[in-house]
Amino acid sequence: MSLLSLTDVTAGYGPSEVLHGITLDVDPGEVVVMLGANGAGKTTTMQAIAGLLTWRGSIELDGRPLPQRPEQVVRSGVSLVPQGRGTLGALTVLENLRVGAAVRTDTGGIGDDIDRWCEVFPVLGRRSRQLAGTLSGGEQQMLAVARALMSRPRLLLCDEPSLGLAPIVVQELFATLAHINETDGTAMLIVEQNAELAMDLASTVYLLDVGTIAASGTPADFRADDAVRTAYLGY
Amino acid sequence: MELFLERLISGLTNGSIYALLALALVVVFRGTGTLNFAQGELALFTTFVAWWLTTQSLPIWFAIAAALGVGFLMGALIERLLIRPVAKRNDMAVLIVALGLFTGLNSLAGLLWGSETKIMPSPFPNGESDFISVGGARLYGDALGVWGALIVLMGLMTLLFRFTKVGLHMRAVADNATSATLAGVRTSRILAIGWGLSGAIGALAGVLVTPLAPQQLSLTTMFSIFIAASAAALFGGLDSLVGAVVGGLVIGVLEAMLTGYVSVIGGSLQQTSALLIIVVILFVKPTGLFGTTKLVRV
Repeated sequence: MSLLSLTDVTAGYGPSEVLHGITLDVDPGEVVVMLGANGAGKTTTMQAIAGLLTWRGSIELDGRPLPQRPEQVVRSGVSLVPQGRGTLGALTVLENLRVGAAVRTDTGGIGDDIDRWCEVFPVLGRRSRQLAGTLSGGEQQMLAVARALMSRPRLLLCDEPSLGLAPIVVQELFATLAHINETDGTAMLIVEQNAELAMDLASTVYLLDVGTIAASGTPADFRADDAVRTAYLGY
Repeated sequence: MELFLERLISGLTNGSIYALLALALVVVFRGTGTLNFAQGELALFTTFVAWWLTTQSLPIWFAIAAALGVGFLMGALIERLLIRPVAKRNDMAVLIVALGLFTGLNSLAGLLWGSETKIMPSPFPNGESDFISVGGARLYGDALGVWGALIVLMGLMTLLFRFTKVGLHMRAVADNATSATLAGVRTSRILAIGWGLSGAIGALAGVLVTPLAPQQLSLTTMFSIFIAASAAALFGGLDSLVGAVVGGLVIGVLEAMLTGYVSVIGGSLQQTSALLIIVVILFVKPTGLFGTTKLVRV
């Protein structure tokens, strides 16, 4: 059974509807990538799942309806790394990680997890007492991912994690995401402009176009489809 | 010299009160992003509650504790019932609601307890002989008490914000409410707690200042204090707790010195000096002396 299952989801901002019926599945432990041009509705889909936007249709986690309030979504085990990283700049790196554990009460476990993510992302360990606003863009992205992981999600949503980062940093980040997916079995739904890199990670790809799913399949299917390749992968 | 010291003492005492009320303003500003115009009147209302309890022959300390509790409850309820529904529209709407509350709370206090001046007992020794001599100047027990209250409150707030989960979440919401929500912080509860906290701090300022204020407890007691506290909060940059305290003390002392030494200002232009300070700060450094300019990395 799917971990996350969207059926005919519509959502938008005020009177303007952006998603016109999205149907999408993420299996437990699976990495799914969403591709699409600007304005296709990728971020809107992420925000709807995370509870930042009201939606109609059905979103289920483990067959149970997903709540529509952000903090309850986190509590159910779904955590979003927002586009632009959402760094809490006036808080230290350590405090950012603690905020990420807001839904947890196991003090010992929280401490262990902080240690763990400071090891996985060594730069966070080195800068743990520094204000998060002073980190570089890449470091802030690592922090955003680590903060989202502090809630021990079963599904991690990443909205354009490579935005504004140097290629080498992006590769490092994706390698770490792949590693976490492997060791923890955390399922991931990733929105990414850097299609090639993301498809290396994914087992399923969805292509969004003007608020609907235009195509879906394995990365191999996508690479083999000439029309899709020229339109969205750019080669 | 004695005169100078006495003015300094009185300036620091008034300044401590401004600092307390400015702290209340800053706590709300950090969470909600608006200046709570009703803060002074909320403090007035809770002070009336404390006064009324003392007239029921309850001990003053009990009355103060009750006023703090009522202040917390009223602050939290105001956020939940009045501010949150309009906050979705825009900041101006919140400002207007706060202005409405300003007059509403004042009128309600008048309706319940009448407009004649009341004598509020002080929780500290404030008799004619309850002073210690500092360089010839008299330092009265209630002045010391007000200073002590500010120091204790500062300590408690530091503990709250540095070492507790609620405090951490309050800072997170103040920094970036959406990020905090996405991390699982119960933003709405945190905002209500913030307003409650500021209501309680305001209540403390109210019960401490009225025994010292020239008007004692009347419907106009908090007007001038609120103006000075706003200036103090602005001085510190509206989002800085330390800035609010420094601002309160600086404005208290400046006011005491200006009214004492500049005979043109005297007693009648006292509030104008606070206004003057507000204008100068906005002119020279719009973010205040301790305020943060938001940096956005793209």
